[in-house]
Amino acid sequence: MGFPPVSHLVLATGCSLVLIGFYGMLTHRNILRIIIGFSLIDTGIHMILVATGYITGGTAPIIDEALSLDAAATRSVDPIPSALVVTAIVIGLSVTAIMLAYAIRLYETKQTLSLDAFTESKW
Amino acid sequence: MVASLLHPLTIFILGLGGGFVLPLVYRLGKTWLKATFFLALSGMALVSALGLVRLLLGGDAIDILTAGSLPPVSISLRFGLWEGFFTASVNCVALLGALRLWPRLSGRYAAMLLYLIFVMGINGMVMTRDLFNLFVFLEIVSIGTYGLLSLEETPAALAAAFKYIMATVLASTFFLLATGLLYYATGTLNIDGLLAQREAIGGPIGAMALLLLLGALLVELKPFPANGWGLDVYETATDGVAALVSVGVSAGVFFALFKLEPLFAGQRNLIAWSCGLTFVAANLIGLRQRLVQRLLGYSSIGQMALMVLALVLLRRQEADGVESGGADVAFALVIGGLFLNHLLAKAGLFWLAGAIGAREWTSWPSLAGRPLLLLAFAILLVAIAGLPPFPGFWGKWELVNALAGSGDYGWIVLILFGSLCEAVYLFRWFGACLQAPRPAAVPAFFSGELPVLVAALLLVIAGLAAAGLAGISSFWLFLPLAAGAALAVIDPILPGQVKCALMLALVLAGGLFLSQGLDGMRGLFAALLLSGGLVIASAGFYRTDARPFHHALLAVLLLALPALLRAETGLDFFVTFEIITLASYFLIARSPAAAPHLLPFLLFSLAAAFFLLTGFAAHRAASGTDALTALGSAGADGALTFVLLASGFLIKAGALGVHVWLPGAYAEAEDDVSALLSAVISKVPIIGLLTGAYLAIRSQNAFGLAHGMGWIGLLTVIGGAAMALREDDVKRMLAYSSMSQLGYIVIAIALMSHIGWVTALYLVANHLMVKGILFLAVAGVTLRAGSRQFADLGGLMRSMPFTFVAVLIAVIAMSGLPPLMGFGGKWLLVQGMADQEWYALAVLSLVATGLGFLYMIRLVHGLFLKPQPPNRAELSSAGSLREAPIALLLPQYALAAAILLLSFYPSLVMEPIAAAIDPAFSAGLVWRGMSLQEIYGYWNPRPLMIVIVAAVMSAIALLAMLYWFRRKDARFLRSTGGKESDALSRFFAFYEPMLGVLVRPMASRFWNNVARGVEALGCLRRVYDGDGQTYALYVLYYFLALYFLGSAIPI
Repeated sequence: MGFPPVSHLVLATGCSLVLIGFYGMLTHRNILRIIIGFSLIDTGIHMILVATGYITGGTAPIIDEALSLDAAATRSVDPIPSALVVTAIVIGLSVTAIMLAYAIRLYETKQTLSLDAFTESKW
Repeated sequence: MVASLLHPLTIFILGLGGGFVLPLVYRLGKTWLKATFFLALSGMALVSALGLVRLLLGGDAIDILTAGSLPPVSISLRFGLWEGFFTASVNCVALLGALRLWPRLSGRYAAMLLYLIFVMGINGMVMTRDLFNLFVFLEIVSIGTYGLLSLEETPAALAAAFKYIMATVLASTFFLLATGLLYYATGTLNIDGLLAQREAIGGPIGAMALLLLLGALLVELKPFPANGWGLDVYETATDGVAALVSVGVSAGVFFALFKLEPLFAGQRNLIAWSCGLTFVAANLIGLRQRLVQRLLGYSSIGQMALMVLALVLLRRQEADGVESGGADVAFALVIGGLFLNHLLAKAGLFWLAGAIGAREWTSWPSLAGRPLLLLAFAILLVAIAGLPPFPGFWGKWELVNALAGSGDYGWIVLILFGSLCEAVYLFRWFGACLQAPRPAAVPAFFSGELPVLVAALLLVIAGLAAAGLAGISSFWLFLPLAAGAALAVIDPILPGQVKCALMLALVLAGGLFLSQGLDGMRGLFAALLLSGGLVIASAGFYRTDARPFHHALLAVLLLALPALLRAETGLDFFVTFEIITLASYFLIARSPAAAPHLLPFLLFSLAAAFFLLTGFAAHRAASGTDALTALGSAGADGALTFVLLASGFLIKAGALGVHVWLPGAYAEAEDDVSALLSAVISKVPIIGLLTGAYLAIRSQNAFGLAHGMGWIGLLTVIGGAAMALREDDVKRMLAYSSMSQLGYIVIAIALMSHIGWVTALYLVANHLMVKGILFLAVAGVTLRAGSRQFADLGGLMRSMPFTFVAVLIAVIAMSGLPPLMGFGGKWLLVQGMADQEWYALAVLSLVATGLGFLYMIRLVHGLFLKPQPPNRAELSSAGSLREAPIALLLPQYALAAAILLLSFYPSLVMEPIAAAIDPAFSAGLVWRGMSLQEIYGYWNPRPLMIVIVAAVMSAIALLAMLYWFRRKDARFLRSTGGKESDALSRFFAFYEPMLGVLVRPMASRFWNNVARGVEALGCLRRVYDGDGQTYALYVLYYFLALYFLGSAIPI
């Protein structure tokens, strides 16, 4: 039993990030901290997804001297999760940007970033 | 070239391309910007609509492959029939919504860009066949929504948008995780690939991925209680954007769920419970809501939950192998009907709410000055409430039928209860609008009125199309609506009396056409109700004002009667029944005084209708056919159907206990409308009872059930008479009297014998003529004397002699005194009861007859015989107290002539009745095997007549004696204050406290408490505390609950 594959490390880090993000999002009342919580969740999920594509001892799915055509199917890391994550990062970026824009607008209306000030509509 | 332009891929080119071009043309000028935006948007609508038409004409579904390779390597899109239907509908509504939103979009290219991308994203969600691609489109739609939400800049709107972002970002994060895990478990992202190997998706990762995916989709559809964030947005966003979220985003997400649903086959029960809870909770909480947009939000959430509920229940049936004929059509009607109905009606209502601008429905202004908008408002509400002829109705009909087919009556009850709550809060809003004193400001045409009107128009068209699909047996069922529409079109330009004449001509022609070929009982009813209806409606000539929409509604109502009799299937019958209810509702609503009574009327009518709906569904489930004739051959298991149908009809007939809607609705309608409602329309449930009565005969529990119905009838007779006696308002007294008289008819039907049914028809004819006369007479009295209170009336014999004579004839005919036709009816009834050995019923009905005498005496005495109250003397001296107008007298005398004719030549009516009933009946039920002629010869009415009259007279004498001895009683004198001027008035006043004991308003109190209790359940809304973090927590809890419940229930 050797050292666990690197994907386990990535997976564990990803899961911890998600949990830290949830904790931050649910316990902080400051809108900026909530947004940071969301970013952590997002990043954590991305790491989990990348980890699912990993193959122990595998290499990048680029066919060159390191990876012959025959070995591509067995030795290359699955590129699709990485491709998904790239797209998801872009989407996460735009969503974070929009949330930050809302944070600015909300701050302008009431000069505070506390969620306590923004509970007008209810019931 | 043209073909490639119309390829579905053009939708994306237009969306993305339009988005890129907008910032460029922004430099060129506003006109260019506007042109580009609408060109792109209408291009998308056109491409999808033409694509749908091509598929409907039999074209093949289009599979769009990308990147030059086949799925699963590439992403593929599909444009099939369902995709075409969803995209075309959403794109058309998006186009209308852009019109509505134009004042906000105008000049802001960024907002237009977001709008285009948003619409394109929904199209993508519908068409894509790749799970990750679905995620991308979902995010595109979400980001478009976040951007559009910022169009409203109030702090509340911004805060709501932020809560919305928090919740939906959580959902999409889980969606992404689920996508990745599903890929890990299956090696594919292609939806068809996933569906193909769904049995193989298992293990902890696969199962968790499925549950996360399901949770993400459900959260996007706003399940209770994780939906406060959606409600806040509905409440605070610009109406145009709220409409987009309500119908657009939901459409995309629903379709995603629709595509992926087979993956969740193991969780169908879980989904159903979540959606059922959401549907009921949303509609319960809606009862407490005053803000219009938030109210519409509750309704939206409920409707989406209903759609998902319907989807999983139908799919579950399919999986269980419950096969019924035309299951595909039924499925299409349920999903397509509910979807299109909600899409158009909810968007229209949001737009209307925004165009009118009042935030709370309680302060909603009057739309009386904008008849078209008012009409559209009514159409949208009726559609959302799931009533015919709109697509949602056909969907609900098929859904309830399917559920009855698999015995899921619990789900039926849940769905109908939620629908009832929804109808209450929607129609309460409509009632507030009708009552509002302040007229609405005129909205702009293009951005205010046009989208709403087009949505209403599209609903009508879609409803008719769905009717064809649902298997309406003939389109003449819509003749009443067509006639009403024709009269409504010319309504604003013609004077009232011309419209009245046109309406009568139209009803006569249409009625003759519709009643062609009706024979037997149906033919008799058609002749009776149509002629009676025409005679009473002709009294409308006495009003010289324009009465907007009155005549159109009257035409619908009167023509629906023969249409009802023509109905061949349960569906035909139910549709026409609902049309009659709605036409009556709107007719009553025309009278401002009726406003407080509208809601009870509608509520009880709908409850009745829901009983019928379930009853017909149970019938179809038991007999396998929807034909009404099959009611006659129902087997021993017809008891359930009979109880359901009878309950519905008894509610509609105003049986004691569920009568609370009746007096207000009948009494506060306009005077000639009251006459029509009480005399003619009240016979509709009677027709139904007679139609359904076969069931009781066939079912094994027949006798018990029928006997029970007889008792209900008797209690109604007594209760109605007691309340009539106590009433100080003439019209309300007549309304209670109607209730009481209908009770006799119910008893007669309950006899389930030949003689009973002959009696029922005879009493129907009698009551029609009598109540027509009495209500029209009171219309004249109210017109001349200016009051409906007994305290203000009296001594009218001299000034209104013709009215007096007509009333006298009617009262004698009603009371059952010889020689007029009421006597024959009572006689037959007592004979029938004796025949069935229902002696207790027979004796008690004689007592009730005595009570009836008392209120009738009070009527004649109070109006005509007692001296005129002193405070009214100036009326007669001013000369305004004179005979009623000839237009009111003529119909009364026509009816009186009919009473006299039928009284002296009873065979004129008895023979057709007997002939009508004979073929419908099995031979064993003919009364002692004799023909009616023999029965007449056999009967000797005189001795029994003497006994009855003597019994009643002695009862009255007893009452009079008691009064004589105690009239000086100090307590009594104090209680009346000695105001009553004459002996008879004092006599009635003496007995009033005693009657008070008898008619304590128990039923009203009971129903008020029920209403209060149901409304109190709305305290569920306390979960929405307005805190975004709490809402995010609810979303997490929802995922957790789904995960634990989903893994506990084996796949």
